[in-house]
Amino acid sequence: MTVKVLFFGVLAEVSGAAIKHYNDTKSVGDLKIRIQDDFPEIVHYNFRISVNGVITNENVKLKSGDEIALMPPFAGG
Amino acid sequence: MEDNYLISGPISGITVSQLVEKAGKRMDIGANMIFLGQVRADVLDGKRVKAIEYSAYHEMVTAEVEKIKSSIRNEFSDINSIEILHSTGMVNAGETSLLVMVSAGHRQHAMQACNKIVELIKANLPVWKKEIFEDNSHVWK
Repeated sequence: MTVKVLFFGVLAEVSGAAIKHYNDTKSVGDLKIRIQDDFPEIVHYNFRISVNGVITNENVKLKSGDEIALMPPFAGG
Repeated sequence: MEDNYLISGPISGITVSQLVEKAGKRMDIGANMIFLGQVRADVLDGKRVKAIEYSAYHEMVTAEVEKIKSSIRNEFSDINSIEILHSTGMVNAGETSLLVMVSAGHRQHAMQACNKIVELIKANLPVWKKEIFEDNSHVWK
């Protein structure tokens, strides 16, 4: 199974891409560990995670096709 | 990219005047409250901001704006229409990046609702900004 991960704001710079795909991630927490392994610097940034547009926590299970967004604090206006 | 609430680049004076003209066609409106957010040329460590580059989670912006409009309509009975526009991409200092226009029967609800919408946008809209300095270095806000 594959999920799509969107990196927003400064996190797109940290990861070097706005979108990445990850295979075989069971939960949000599992995915977060994988992302931290790939981009260790990300631990220095504060961000929230949404799954299919809903802000969520690390226990949430993932399924193929889910869209996960890593979102730093909002700064609109 | 452009959708219902996001516009690529700055919000023009023409857009503002078109919205005012549109409101003028409704005879039940007695008050139009307009908030325009403008890019400020802040100075940080001696460097002046020349522009802000905005990015957004488009789908979530749409959902959040719909939620904001719905909650405002529930709270204020006198509202006729709500217009919300936020820029994405590059907006130069002095240009407009956010428009909120609330039209109502009377001024109190228009002013209160507009103020509340701006605060909700600041808190809940998934939008990010990169401040770009005159020397082309940048900082994320």
